[in-house]
Amino acid sequence: MSLITLAAPTPHAAPRSGFLWRLLRRPSGVVGLLLLAAIIAVAASAPLLYPDDPLDMVAQPFLWPGQDAAYPLGTDMMGRDIASGIFHGARVSLLIGAVAASVSLLIGTATGALAGYYGGRTDAALMRVTELFQTIPPFLFALAIVAILQPSIPTITLAIGITAWPSLARLVRAEVLKLRNGELVQASIALGAGDLRIIVLHILPNTLAPIIVSASILVASAILTESSLAFLGLGDPNVVSWGGMVGAGREVLRTDWYIATLPGLAIVVAVLALNLLGDGLNDALDPKGERRA
Amino acid sequence: MTTVRLSRRAFLAGTSAATLLGATGALPAFAQPAETPKRGGTLTAIIQPEPVTLTPATNTAQPTQVIAGNIFDGLVYYDFDLTPRPSLAERWEVASDGLTITFHLRKGVTWHDGKPFTAADVKWTLENVWKTVHPRNRALFENVAETQTPDEHTVILKLSRPSLPILSVINAVGGPILPRHLYEGTDLLNNPYNNKPVGTGPFVFKEWKKGEYILLERNPNYWDPGKPYLDKIVFRVITDAAARAAAIEKGEVLYAPFNPVPFRDVERLAKLPNLKVETRGYEWLSPVLYLDLNVENTHLKDVRVRRAIAHALDREAIAKVVWFGYGKPAISPVPSTLASFFDDSVPRYAFDPRKAEALLDEAGFKRGADGTRFTLTHDPLPYGDDYRRTGEYLKQALKRVGIEVNLRAQDSAAFIKRVYVDRDFDISSSYNAAFPDPQIGVVREFWSGWLGTGTPWTNGSGYRNARVDEIIQSAAIAGDPAQRVKLFKEFQQIAVSDVPTLPLLELKFFTVHAAHLKGAVAQGDQVYAGLKNAWIDDGPRQN
Repeated sequence: MSLITLAAPTPHAAPRSGFLWRLLRRPSGVVGLLLLAAIIAVAASAPLLYPDDPLDMVAQPFLWPGQDAAYPLGTDMMGRDIASGIFHGARVSLLIGAVAASVSLLIGTATGALAGYYGGRTDAALMRVTELFQTIPPFLFALAIVAILQPSIPTITLAIGITAWPSLARLVRAEVLKLRNGELVQASIALGAGDLRIIVLHILPNTLAPIIVSASILVASAILTESSLAFLGLGDPNVVSWGGMVGAGREVLRTDWYIATLPGLAIVVAVLALNLLGDGLNDALDPKGERRA
Repeated sequence: MTTVRLSRRAFLAGTSAATLLGATGALPAFAQPAETPKRGGTLTAIIQPEPVTLTPATNTAQPTQVIAGNIFDGLVYYDFDLTPRPSLAERWEVASDGLTITFHLRKGVTWHDGKPFTAADVKWTLENVWKTVHPRNRALFENVAETQTPDEHTVILKLSRPSLPILSVINAVGGPILPRHLYEGTDLLNNPYNNKPVGTGPFVFKEWKKGEYILLERNPNYWDPGKPYLDKIVFRVITDAAARAAAIEKGEVLYAPFNPVPFRDVERLAKLPNLKVETRGYEWLSPVLYLDLNVENTHLKDVRVRRAIAHALDREAIAKVVWFGYGKPAISPVPSTLASFFDDSVPRYAFDPRKAEALLDEAGFKRGADGTRFTLTHDPLPYGDDYRRTGEYLKQALKRVGIEVNLRAQDSAAFIKRVYVDRDFDISSSYNAAFPDPQIGVVREFWSGWLGTGTPWTNGSGYRNARVDEIIQSAAIAGDPAQRVKLFKEFQQIAVSDVPTLPLLELKFFTVHAAHLKGAVAQGDQVYAGLKNAWIDDGPRQN
């Protein structure tokens, strides 16, 4: 245990350039980063390329991709431009993914760190709460919250955020438990550092690797969850989202499969990008992996 | 997919429950197919969703009525033009003052358990079911002061005031007659025969395997000689819309009423030579899609704003694009299928965004710096994609005239509470079945007497008009049909001019059935009637 603790890089010992270099040396990291950059570019360019409301009915319904050059990805059953929907949907998906993952990170990290650091009753109490959340399938839980609060971007984000944190909390707790009795922390205590200082300055930076990897997966799963909610009709009806587009296209899947498939592909690409990035980060941040390399 | 289709079914079921009187009368004397029907065969049909109970006496949900129509008979059934035709009643007379209705019952009819059907069954059911627990009949039958049965085959209703709409609701599910000998003295709601019903209808209940199928068998002692033609009907429960479409396409299922597949699939299925898509058989329901404009809203209380909204919507586009052609623009809350009551001369709100803008300007709601005049919320009926798409159309159409619309989504319980109890909405959408008489399905949207009761699918707009209330009450008790028509025409003029409820489309439901299933759509209340005229044409006859 103490060997592993010693082997973990301290924040000062992890030079940024080295980390980025290690990430870029891995194909999964490179591909993930490129795809994510492309999606961010799509989201950022949406208001410039498609300044009009993507929910506007602009053309004849059921134009297939390529049938009309003005609508390269075709139109859906209401005559809405699918390309415009995918561009604007990227903004919604990324926004919800990032914010919901941040909420999860905040709750999960705080819970895990406190439980792991203080142990005893604090640990028991916090872990019971975590288990309580874990006993409810996160998707159904989110579904219930959104159904009660009414679907809108803030409620959906909140629902995803507060249902996705338990696994992260357990992960962080385990890491903190390892560090808690390590020499670094013992030395800090001996020097008279306060609990908060120890947690924030000495423990958390050393758990960053798993947290960062989890974060990319959390964003991906938040995007998926939002899509699933929208697919089930619990998306925000006032904005266009990828899941909502798939859900709307489902009725015509037999005849006009492109309507559900194109936004579905966008979801696949986004989730794949974040998972690849997660993989790359995992390898890049893993000191053992680096030694093996 | 399953989920959404289920909610649409649930919607149909819910609406039916709220609105339907019931309907089945399967009497075949008319509409003889040109070809000679062939006896025998098993018909596989779709029931969607699975019913909760099989008695039409206490539950007017759509799937219950589809099954019950095969097991029960009404006193009458309804033709395509909604004329009542003889079923268990061979003939009937209405006294000139409208206060006495006499039914002469068919002789020699027996219940499925062999007991004779008599006037006592009708009297008992009227007094213990129609007047008390039947969800829609209470109001129509409350004026029946006394039911006399001078002999076993005559029933005389003595009314305190006329109630002509009675004659429009007494088919097999609107006025189902229960076997008195199995129900008298029991707890009606928990009677075991509710789920293994005994009727007089063309098919006998055999088995209900929950989650799989409901099996009915031919009634060999049916009073209509030679009928029914089919030996068995199996109603299969198939919850997934794609699976339903596949089963229909492959010929595993021969009969599927109530929009069993998505609209876009219908176009594809209709082109197949082995299938027929039929929109007849729903005449008795006459469903109308409408928007309720909450007249308590600061903007919507101005009639010019309501008219502007009417002008801003292109109903042709709603019918063609949003509803895939399965609807036609409605101009009055009374659908044109109710031909004698429908008033063609009501004010029209042609699609004219510029006129809409002029009306909004006139009402004092000018466009602000951002082009928006004001913001409204819209709660579409939460029963499936069609209503959601209608809401999305509304949002875009009103945006063009400067009204921002925020769409909201919720489940049906929350929708009902929001619209009919809390009244916390601006515009809602819904549909109501009108039924053959405006008294049954239409006036509930306008009568102020419903306000404050929280009853779903009644007056959602919050409209109060003393003259309209007066007309509704006079028409309810008018004994002269011509007088009622006159009153309902005046009602339509006011209702359309004030437009608290904006009718959008006369919806067209559809049935998909196999081309070789003949006689499956033979009357105006067919979807809630027995399939006693249906027969399977499985090839050229040898003899």
